[in-house]
Amino acid sequence: MNVVVSSIVLSFMMASLASAETLRVGMECTYHPFNYRDSSGKLQGYDVDVAKEVAVRIGAELTFVCQKWDGMIPALLANKFDIVVASMSITNKRKKKIDFSYPYRVSIGQFIGPKSKNLKLFNADGSLNLKGFNGVRIGIERATTYSNWIEAKVPDADIAFYDSNEAMYLDLKAGRVDAIMTNPMKAFLRFLSKPDGAGYEVVGPQLAEEEYFGIGVGIGMRKGNDALMARLDKALKSMTKDGSLERFAKKIFPFTIHPLD
Amino acid sequence: MEFDFALIVESVPKMATGIGITLQLLVLATIIGTALAVCTVLMRISKIPLLSWPAMVYIYIFRGTPMLVQIFLIYYGLSQFQAVRDSFFWIALRDPFWCAIIAFSVNVGAYTAEILRGGIQGVDEGQLRAATALGLSKSQRFIHITTPIAIRLALPAFGNETVSLLKSTALASTITMFDITGVARTIMAQTFAPYEIFISAAIVYLFIAWFIQIGVALAERRFSRHMQR
Repeated sequence: MNVVVSSIVLSFMMASLASAETLRVGMECTYHPFNYRDSSGKLQGYDVDVAKEVAVRIGAELTFVCQKWDGMIPALLANKFDIVVASMSITNKRKKKIDFSYPYRVSIGQFIGPKSKNLKLFNADGSLNLKGFNGVRIGIERATTYSNWIEAKVPDADIAFYDSNEAMYLDLKAGRVDAIMTNPMKAFLRFLSKPDGAGYEVVGPQLAEEEYFGIGVGIGMRKGNDALMARLDKALKSMTKDGSLERFAKKIFPFTIHPLD
Repeated sequence: MEFDFALIVESVPKMATGIGITLQLLVLATIIGTALAVCTVLMRISKIPLLSWPAMVYIYIFRGTPMLVQIFLIYYGLSQFQAVRDSFFWIALRDPFWCAIIAFSVNVGAYTAEILRGGIQGVDEGQLRAATALGLSKSQRFIHITTPIAIRLALPAFGNETVSLLKSTALASTITMFDITGVARTIMAQTFAPYEIFISAAIVYLFIAWFIQIGVALAERRFSRHMQR
């Protein structure tokens, strides 16, 4: 009897050793440049790089599951996959349903202005230079994290509110606003890296204060997976430290996009 | 979702900061537009094709296209051209306020020109013949007989046009202006309470529309005082 039981236990152990743990990763697969298929159909992007590297560090196999954004959390809860690596921002609302790892990408804001204007909105040490905002009209999208930030930090700023990104860029190019405050990743992809944006540059440092911009983007998982979360956190922190996240970001952007502390 | 009555009471005074801009747009565009309309209608009723045709084309273009499209053309469209940005006109076109004034004025000009034409054509022929019989010249007839009667006939429609312009000024919020609607949209985006906020905005507009109606009613009484008994 004893022999039978122990042989069953043994065969279980052997089975789990032979097929290493498989992590199923949910992502949109259409969210350029974070998770998308390249022209040969291969998954590419920052999320994909992060997921692959995390898997290596925790010793798991990966399979990717493509899932539409609006069904991402329901699919995770329905056990269609084990973790979400899909540029999902960590919010209190989402945290009620799922758990998040340590952030692997921050939410940031930054000013962008014409090179010719030589704006001095920040001092050399990166602190705000309120005087530099005198006579500077700033374009911002209405009711975004950026408008909350500027209303709190530069209450006297001359702000033009826009309902769309396009309109804001048009007015920046027309010179109706002297600078805009926006997400530098989007700004780089759609403007600064294009011929249109040649005469423009980022002004001042990346702004990432958590109370305005949020914690950032993390790996989502079902609640109650504390052991998995600890392993993911450890992997992400080591990837932050050894420069892997920086390397992944710089494949796309000329700057880093992970938490700096 | 509960209805937050206190938020309406709180929001109406905040909208007041936008009333100034809305009224400036309304008054300036009405004055400029009416001046434009008088010129246009004089051209329009002229028997010289070189005068009447351009007026007809102008009226046709601005009555036949949405005002939002016109605002976008003036504000975003023109600014696309470096030549415009380097020109003298950029002083006005750079500023969303003047872009809105231009768009509203040319619209008021086109619509009011047609309203005035209706008034002029509505003047009773018999009264003009009577004036001729009394020995009034052509220009005297136009100034002393046609004009006052035409204005009285056109007043109700003109009142409509002004209320309609009041509502159209809300479009200025799409080009970064802080008129009543612009303020409302910003508060709405902060409070996520569209119902309460836009009800507050509607109340403010109704209030202004009420004043316009009173003004037009008073003007109508004044211009038809000869018929009162």
